[in-house]
Amino acid sequence: MSESVISVSELTRRFGATTALDSVSVSLPRGAVYGLVGANGAGKTTLIRHILGLLRVESGSVRVFGLDPVADPVAVLSRIGYLSEENDLPGWMRVDELIRYTSAFYPKWDDAYAEELRRAFALDPAAKIKDLSRGQKARMGLLIALAHRPELLVLDEPSSGLDPIVRRDILGAVLRTIADEGRTVLFSSHLLEEVEQVADHVTMISYGRIVLSAPLDTIKESHRSLNEAFIAHVGSAATPAAET
Amino acid sequence: MRSPALAIGWEFRRRHLWALIAMTGFLLALAAIKLLFLGPMEPIRLDPPDGRAAVVITPLTATYFYLLAAFSFGLAGDLGARPSIYPARMFALPLRTAALVGWPMLYGTAAVAILWLVTALSARWPWGIALPLIWPALLAAVFLAWTQALMWMPYGLPGLRAIVTVPWLATLDAVALLAIHYKVREPMMVAFLAPQLPLAYVTACSAVGRARRGEVPDWRGMFARPASNAVLTRRRDHFPSPARAQAWFEWRRHGRSLPALVGLLLPFELALLWLAKGAPAFVFEILFLALITPPFMAAFTAWTVSQPNPQVRDSYGVPPFIATRPLTSAELIAAKLKMAMWSTLAAWLVVLVAMPLALEWSGTWSVVTERARRMHDAIGTPRAATVVLLFLAGFIVATWKQLVQSLHIGLTGREWIVKGSVLLTLTFLILLGPIVEWIIDSPSVQRALWNALPLILAGLVGLKMCAAGWIATRLDRSRLLSDRALVLGAACWLVAVLALYGVLVWFFSTPFVAHYVLALIAILAVPLARISAAPLALAWNRHR
Repeated sequence: MSESVISVSELTRRFGATTALDSVSVSLPRGAVYGLVGANGAGKTTLIRHILGLLRVESGSVRVFGLDPVADPVAVLSRIGYLSEENDLPGWMRVDELIRYTSAFYPKWDDAYAEELRRAFALDPAAKIKDLSRGQKARMGLLIALAHRPELLVLDEPSSGLDPIVRRDILGAVLRTIADEGRTVLFSSHLLEEVEQVADHVTMISYGRIVLSAPLDTIKESHRSLNEAFIAHVGSAATPAAET
Repeated sequence: MRSPALAIGWEFRRRHLWALIAMTGFLLALAAIKLLFLGPMEPIRLDPPDGRAAVVITPLTATYFYLLAAFSFGLAGDLGARPSIYPARMFALPLRTAALVGWPMLYGTAAVAILWLVTALSARWPWGIALPLIWPALLAAVFLAWTQALMWMPYGLPGLRAIVTVPWLATLDAVALLAIHYKVREPMMVAFLAPQLPLAYVTACSAVGRARRGEVPDWRGMFARPASNAVLTRRRDHFPSPARAQAWFEWRRHGRSLPALVGLLLPFELALLWLAKGAPAFVFEILFLALITPPFMAAFTAWTVSQPNPQVRDSYGVPPFIATRPLTSAELIAAKLKMAMWSTLAAWLVVLVAMPLALEWSGTWSVVTERARRMHDAIGTPRAATVVLLFLAGFIVATWKQLVQSLHIGLTGREWIVKGSVLLTLTFLILLGPIVEWIIDSPSVQRALWNALPLILAGLVGLKMCAAGWIATRLDRSRLLSDRALVLGAACWLVAVLALYGVLVWFFSTPFVAHYVLALIAILAVPLARISAAPLALAWNRHR
């Protein structure tokens, strides 16, 4: 393994009386798929927001590509592809306008790849984003996250509430990204099956603490399934809903 | 809470609790001031208003507009969108459409009518000012009912809601103003206004019923570009830079609102020129009204420009889509400033094209040329031209300034700062009237102020420069702006100040105004601190 793409050390974050992250330390070397698993409110999105520089570090440190994402947002964000859980794409834009607009920010934007993804995801270039279905919006978000072939792809609950066909599309795209040499994927999910299918490394988070972080193969050596590992380390009360 | 009517009422009360408390507190304070301090003095004059009238008029007008927005769900809906802004979540309630419409309309009309009745009764007592009671309350209720009906209606085109609503309400307002002007008797006004309430109710029922059934007409096809054009659009080149892409984003998101609003209002204002033939003073009043329209409307447009996330009305944070753009916070602000400039120029283009056309077609052009000739005779061509250009430049800069000066507040993303700023502005507006009245009525105060003017200006300049210095230090430390950009910005500001100072010195060549006073005015006039604070505000919000 090469140097760390993401290095989080002793990160603690509080929102009022609630401790969202409690002394979290994670190091993600380059070139693998990392699944971040936890129940709703466990701290997955808070950790991702720190990695993107959307939250300022109160205690501890966060480095992405060796840089502070708050102090140097351009250098960090231009190398990241991000799919937000909130799916807040501007509804007034058309699909082709969003592609054209987003391409301006990334020197490595690949037009041919973007067009290939657009066709694969069956997105009408003249359609307004607000008129797309939820699944189409997720595909659109994924398209603009992938088309500049980012060094780090961050997907926050990419398939939350989506139908199996869209999930398959997303997983397929993730797998393709993995195939691209040297790229790293971090995705959060509460769907253990999904994580089990694609992740090389799993990090479980509960009540703001990392309870398990290990390669999937190692986890499978000691547990029959990821679900069993989750129950063993997090507890059944916080087990993510088994969706299909 | 077993009754749907109570539940709907509770939601309004719960959501707008603080506004209700503030309004009640204000009315109590006003009553106390009136009884304790103003009682022995002359009553407040409302027509024409005296300075103290602002204490009454400003908060009551603000409250009226707040109630208008709250009861029409305008604070939470997308006014520019085609679908109804009536909350879709309420369509699933097991209630008849008549109830969905009736309760908010009843609460709203009752609230605005009570607002007027309380105002009028408190003005009547103990001085006995003869204010009409019934018809203004009815007018307020009718105005609200029509606002609700037109806001809740689904439309076939984006923006059509404003195009329908503004003229309709303006016509209603004009009828009321004419009635006041011609001193129409109260029974006549009641007879005109009362039937409109059931009319508005029926219209609203039809509108919400259609929205509930998902019937949203779509007329966009009539204005859609031909397929060949669409292909051309899709083949457009890439943006040359991220900054240009972001400026395009800002323009599409906010830039067209101001020219559209100005274009919507201007025809109504300039139409008055046809009534002003033979009344030169009225012609210039209308032209002044047209000239202040862009800066006035910019103050309203600025509200959305300074919102980090206009798509979500109650959200103050920067949406992840924008926050994760690989641009610095300063570059994101630069795009907003650029958009504001283009928006200002577009709005003024509308004014500068429409005004001469309206003057020519209405036959009032000669009134303006005559005044220009007299000005030329009095002060000469260069000075006359300078006055006109300075006024025009002043209006244009004021429009741009209105659009961008609240960025440093809205972009902080802190609710307490945004609401505190609104409260401070309202307080300032309330106090401004009595203070101006006090100054006008008191020659000794005027003398003291005139003598202290250089000191006051110097104090303000000191404050501005201290704020600018602090902001520059923060910008430098946080690396939001490079040293080069800071120096370049300061140099540009200095050039603008010197240019303005030069013009002022040339124009005011009088021994009564010292040159250093003009220098202080120039320093205060050119924006610096608040605009420089905008990147800091955005960064504070973007990286929480």
